Amino acid sequence: MSRKLDYPSAEDEVLVRAAQKGDMRAFEELVARHRDKIYARAFSMMRNTEEAIDLSQEAWVKAWQRLNQFQGTASFVTWMTRIVINLCLDQLRKLKRLRAESIEQLDEDLGGVERQMPVVTPNPTERLERSELRLRIDKALGQLSYEHRTVLILHEFEDLEYKEIAKRMGCSIGTVMSRLFYARRKMAVLLAGLKRDGLR
Amino acid sequence: MINHQTQLKLQAYLDGELPPGEARAIGELLACEAEAQPLLEELKATRALLVGNELELKLPETREFYWSKIQRQVEREEQREPAVDAPAPAPPWWIRFLAPAGALAVLAVLVLIALRSPERSQPLLASDDSHEIETPLEETSSFSFRSEAAAMTVVWVDSHRE
Repeated sequence: MSRKLDYPSAEDEVLVRAAQKGDMRAFEELVARHRDKIYARAFSMMRNTEEAIDLSQEAWVKAWQRLNQFQGTASFVTWMTRIVINLCLDQLRKLKRLRAESIEQLDEDLGGVERQMPVVTPNPTERLERSELRLRIDKALGQLSYEHRTVLILHEFEDLEYKEIAKRMGCSIGTVMSRLFYARRKMAVLLAGLKRDGLR
Repeated sequence: MINHQTQLKLQAYLDGELPPGEARAIGELLACEAEAQPLLEELKATRALLVGNELELKLPETREFYWSKIQRQVEREEQREPAVDAPAPAPPWWIRFLAPAGALAVLAVLVLIALRSPERSQPLLASDDSHEIETPLEETSSFSFRSEAAAMTVVWVDSHRE
């Protein structure tokens, strides 16, 4: 059956079913289709090319091993993205780039900077080319801490709810809300072109 | 100035994460609190700016090279854990047939032997069949000779029997 499969034009679901039966060629096609997206998610979280390549590869290996667990309730690329996100979170924890909740709480107790920031209006109609806007957003994301960037990515780009983010990051919903609030406010400042000394 | 908890609730209101009762309360706050509306607008504008505008990156490796590394790793992992999920291979049909047949044949032979020689089926320690080996030490004597030069010992046992 797999010999008759037209891999480049087959839909993801068809390729997944073939790969679940052991068809490595079908899996290779899935990798070729989605490798950029999976790598991009790893890079957005790690901010390092080598780490992103390694983690994205590891995600594909894990996906092959767990392919029979894929039920098709979400799309294949969503399932893959969840795998790479979990690997990145594990790696960030291992490298201690994700701070413990107690330190985050300490920040809160001392009074977060985001609370005192004046309200700004990021102007999306700045006549920027979309590619230029994306570059600016990426540059601004690069200026956030790992915790704040991760929460922002999971909420704005992956569309996860507070509860799900808290579960994945191993912190409370309150911490997620706090981090998201700080991250958004700092992004607003950065995207409005304001440079504020003293902000992390 | 609105407190931090209210700021967070304002954000949760925007994200649709508030229960209906609290959402109504925030709606009322927005109508009467001067600071709340501009903050909500800022959060909303930032969210609108981010969603759908993530930088699209390309993997900086060729398809073949990237895949070859994944393939190698998959093969390595499969060699390391060869039979985690895979069931053990089934034995050939003749073993599957001969194993129970052989066991039945052995059982039949044992039953036959037991039926034909009932005396052998008695318990081994039955009192009627027990024998003792006596060693009448009074009727024996022994002499031993040890040669250091030859590194040997000779024991001569005499039973004194005529």
